[in-house]
Amino acid sequence: MPVALQAEAIDIATEYARLVGDKPGAAVATFTGYVRDHSDQHVVTELELEHYPEMALKILEDLGQSAAERFGLSDWRIVHRFGRLAVSETIVWVGAVADHRGEAISACELMMDTLKTDAPFWKREQGPGGEQWVASRDSDAQRRARWQSEEVQ
Amino acid sequence: MVSGSVCIRIKLFSTLREALGESEFQLNISEVSESSAEVDVAAVKRLLSQRGAHWKEALNQPNLVHALNHKVVFTDALVSEGDELAFFPPMTGG
Repeated sequence: MPVALQAEAIDIATEYARLVGDKPGAAVATFTGYVRDHSDQHVVTELELEHYPEMALKILEDLGQSAAERFGLSDWRIVHRFGRLAVSETIVWVGAVADHRGEAISACELMMDTLKTDAPFWKREQGPGGEQWVASRDSDAQRRARWQSEEVQ
Repeated sequence: MVSGSVCIRIKLFSTLREALGESEFQLNISEVSESSAEVDVAAVKRLLSQRGAHWKEALNQPNLVHALNHKVVFTDALVSEGDELAFFPPMTGG
């Protein structure tokens, strides 16, 4: 299955090998997201990711398949974590294999932009000032929306 | 309903789970389907809102997301026996 939800840290070398395997993909693009030590004006010391497992799997599979069809990917993979994460730990990793770099890079961007607004995960930040749920951002919704227009091919 | 009960599973996540103190439970929707065989998400929200002011407030916040059997839907989506209906705030993964 090209989608994994896991509590443990993402082993990027292993995931890359799973993505590429022994196939001679001409272009491979990946994106890795890490826990920041800040959010807006707040210091962040730890992140907790709540998720809806069954729906998250379905949504990630659907959006990966959609990106594969749109950009003609030969392979793709999405790994997303849940649970408690320390600063600088990996949160998410996506990868795409295509014939050309443009398709591979765009596919990663599409998967990430869609994932942030459509996949059922919720971040809760912890810091010196206490805990708070992360609010959704208009900028994420805007990035998501542009894939539905003709602006991005 | 003529007889028996019609149950669906309700799931709450994130701020909804915290505000309402529950994460998952069975809900008998028979009483809202007395006059019609069709019950939509809006009717389920009205039924749950009868549980108290905090339920009404939480389920009527403007950005609330409803997912029926793992798919985001509008409030006119119809629910039936055995369905899973989840309520949660906008998603913030990645």
